[in-house]
Amino acid sequence: MTEVLGDFIRALRAADVRVSTSEAIDAGQVVSMVGLDDRQTLRDALSQVLAKSEDEKQSFGETFDRFFAFDQLKHRPAANDAEAEAEDDAAEDDEGESGEANQKEGEGEGDGPPSGGSGGSDGERYDLVAMLERGDQAQLQMALAEAARQVRLNEIRLFTQRGMYSRRIMEAMGLYALEDEVMDRERAGNEAGADALRGKREELRLQVRDYVEKQLELFTANAGRQMREEVLAQMRLSNIDYSDMKFMRELVRKMAKRLIALHSRRRKVDRRGVLDMRRTIRANVEFDGLFFHTIWKTKKVDRPKVMAICDVSGSVAQVSGFLLMFLYSLQEVIPRVRSFAFSAELGETTDFFKREKNIEEAIRETLQRHGGGSTDYGFALADFERLAMDDIDHRTTVIILGDARSNYSNPRGDILKKVHARARRVIWLNPEPKGLWNSGDSEMKRLAPYCDKAITCASLKDLERVVSELLRHAS
Amino acid sequence: MSEEKGVSGVRGAVPEIEAIQKGFEGRGYICNAHIATSIFLAERLQKPLLIEGPPGVGKTELAKATAELLGKPLIRLQCYEGLDEAKALYEWKYGKQLLYTQVLKEKLGDLMSGAQGLKESISRLHDFDDTFFSEEFLEPRPLLKALWQPGGAVLLIDEIDKSDDEFEAFLLELLSDYQISVPELGTIKARTVPVVFLTSNNTREIGDALKRRCLHLYIPFPDSDLEQRIIKSRVPEVEEALRRQLVAFVQGIRELDLKKQPAVSETIDWARTLVLLHARELDAELVRQTLNVLLKFQDDIDNVEGEVNALTTKALQAG
Repeated sequence: MTEVLGDFIRALRAADVRVSTSEAIDAGQVVSMVGLDDRQTLRDALSQVLAKSEDEKQSFGETFDRFFAFDQLKHRPAANDAEAEAEDDAAEDDEGESGEANQKEGEGEGDGPPSGGSGGSDGERYDLVAMLERGDQAQLQMALAEAARQVRLNEIRLFTQRGMYSRRIMEAMGLYALEDEVMDRERAGNEAGADALRGKREELRLQVRDYVEKQLELFTANAGRQMREEVLAQMRLSNIDYSDMKFMRELVRKMAKRLIALHSRRRKVDRRGVLDMRRTIRANVEFDGLFFHTIWKTKKVDRPKVMAICDVSGSVAQVSGFLLMFLYSLQEVIPRVRSFAFSAELGETTDFFKREKNIEEAIRETLQRHGGGSTDYGFALADFERLAMDDIDHRTTVIILGDARSNYSNPRGDILKKVHARARRVIWLNPEPKGLWNSGDSEMKRLAPYCDKAITCASLKDLERVVSELLRHAS
Repeated sequence: MSEEKGVSGVRGAVPEIEAIQKGFEGRGYICNAHIATSIFLAERLQKPLLIEGPPGVGKTELAKATAELLGKPLIRLQCYEGLDEAKALYEWKYGKQLLYTQVLKEKLGDLMSGAQGLKESISRLHDFDDTFFSEEFLEPRPLLKALWQPGGAVLLIDEIDKSDDEFEAFLLELLSDYQISVPELGTIKARTVPVVFLTSNNTREIGDALKRRCLHLYIPFPDSDLEQRIIKSRVPEVEEALRRQLVAFVQGIRELDLKKQPAVSETIDWARTLVLLHARELDAELVRQTLNVLLKFQDDIDNVEGEVNALTTKALQAG
C-alpha cells in the first residue's frame, strides 16, 4: 500500500501538486482510515490532505483518475466466451475493483514475498498461462502491476525507454515460460492451442505497452516542461523565439505572482503621538502602575507604490515585449502600479492595461500606440514629469526599463534628478550588458547618477532578482 | 501502519461518513459525501480543516452544524486586519494585577518582619507565591477558551484570509500541536483537542506552512440537485414546482459573467422572498422585481435584466 501511495504522490508532484513529507504521512493515515473499498471516498479523502488549492484539486482529480484507472478491464472484450459472464461482473463493479486490486497488491507486499514475484519459474509459467487462458483480467492487471514494480517502472523518464520497460515487464510476468508453453504445444501438434496462446500473448503485449505509456505520462507529465522553463528563464530575452512567447508569458505571470506572494507582507511603522492606553497600562503593571514604558499606536502602511516606465522603441523592440508583459503581470498582482510606455512621447498605460483582459492584445496595442518612434528620453521624461510627478512620494519606487539610447538628444537628467529626490528609489533596468553602456548614443552616464541602482536586466532570472530585491526594500 | 488497523478502519469509514451526512441533514445542513468525508477525517486525524470557497456556500454554516452534531460549544474567532494575540488568545487582567500589587505592598511589612538583612528578605520574597503571572490573572480569548473548554469545543477561525501574515504564523503552533505558549507561564496544552475549522474567501493566498497543517476542503457552488435539497430543507414552504424553477434560474445566472455570483444563501433568501409574495410560478416580471435579493451589484442587475426573459423561459422548461 505504501509503495502505491508513494508512486501516486510522485505522480502528483510531477503534475505540479506540491506534496510535503508531512502531507504524505497524513495521506498514509487517511488511507488506513478510509480504506480502499470505496473509490469515491478515497478520492475525496486524499484530495483533502494532498491538494490544497483549487488548481491543485483539479490536477489531483486528473492524476487520481489516470493513476487508478484500470480501464483495460473495461475496454478489452471478453477473450473467452465461457468467462464472459465473470468478466461482466468484474466490469460492473469496476470502480471498487480497481481500488481493491491495489489493496491486494499492497497486502501482498506487507506479508512477505508475493507469490508471483520470487516464486519458482514453474509457478509463474502456469500462472501466466492459466491467467491468459482464463482471461482473468483483474488478476492479470495485478500481475502486471507487480511486475512493473519489480522492474521499477516508476523510474521511467524518457519515452525511448518504453520498449525496454515493456519487455522487462513481460519477462517479469513470465514471458519465457509462456513461449516455452507455446513451443510445447506446437511440438505436441496442438496447433490451435498454440495459436490461441500466441494471440493472447499479443494481446498481453499491447496491454503492457498501454500500461507503460500511461505510467510514463503519469511520472513525466511535467518533467519536460520544467526543464524548458529552466532554460527559458536564463536565456537572454532578445534571443527567445517567438514560438516560446506563450510559454514565456505563463512564466512571467507565475514569477510575478510568486514575488508578490513572497513580499506582500505589510509593514508597520510608528505613528508618533497617539498613546495606546490599554497596552501601556498592561506593560507598566510590573512597575506598579507607573507609566515609564509607553506604547504608541501603530499604523499599517500599504504595499509599495510602483511606477514603471518602459521604453518600447525600436532599439529595444526585442525586449520590450517581455518588459511590457512583466509590467502587465505586475499590475495584475500589485494594485498600485502606474505604468507608462514611450518611444518619443510618453503615455500612461495603466488604465488601458486594466481594461484590456487579453495580455497579447494589450501589448500589441501598446506597441502600436507608443512604439515605433525614435527614442527621446528628454521628451519622455518631460512627459513623465507632467503626468506623474505629483503622485511620486517617499513610498514610490520608480522603475525605468530601457537602454538609455536617446539619439543624441538631451536626456534631461535634471528631471530624473527631481524624480530621484522625491521618490524612495529609482531603478534603471538596462537590457544591454554593462560594457555597452555609454557607447554611441547611450546616455547611461548622465542618467545613472540619479538612480539608486542601475543594472543590466537581460533575462527573466535577472528580472526576477531585481524585482524581488525591489519588493524587499520598498515599504 | 499495521494491516489490522487498516482493515478495521475500512469497515467503519463509509457508514460513519454516511452517518455524519445524515446527522447534518437532520439539522438542516444538506451536504454531499465529500463534505461529510472531510468532517470525518478532521475528527479522526485531529487536524484542522481549512475550508475555501466562494462566499455564501455555507462554510461557516458547516462549522455550526458540526458543533451541533457533536454537541460541543462553538467558539468563534472572526479575523480582521490588525487582529493580534491579545484579542485572539489571552490578555492579562491588568486591572486586577494592579490591585494585587497594591495588596502585596501592604502585606510586604508583615512578610518582611523579622527578616535579617537584605539576603534573607530576598529569599523570603522568592519563597512567596508568584501569582502575579498565573492563570488566575489570565483572561482567556477565543483560542485559549477553546483549548480550556472541558470536553472539547468546535473552534471556528472565520475568514483567516482577512488577518495578517503574522497572525497566521502565530496560529501554527496552535494548529499543529494544540498548544500555545504564553511567555510568562510556559506552554498551555489543550485539555481536550478541539475540532478546528478555518474558513477563507481567498482574498489572499494562505501560506504554505498553514496549509500543510490543515486538511483542505473546497466547497463550490452546489449542483442543481443539491441546491434543491437545500432549499427544500431550509424553506419548506416553497412548492416543488417553484423550487425547481428558481433553482434552475439561479443555476442559469451563475453561468453568466458577473461580479458576484449568487450563492446558496442568496438562493435561500430569494426563495423566502418568493414565498412571502405568494408566488406559485416564476414569471419575468416577478423575477425583475426581486432580482435585487439575488444580485448585490447594480452592474450585475443591469446585466441580468436583459437576460431575464430567456432565463425564465429556460427555468420554466426545466421546472
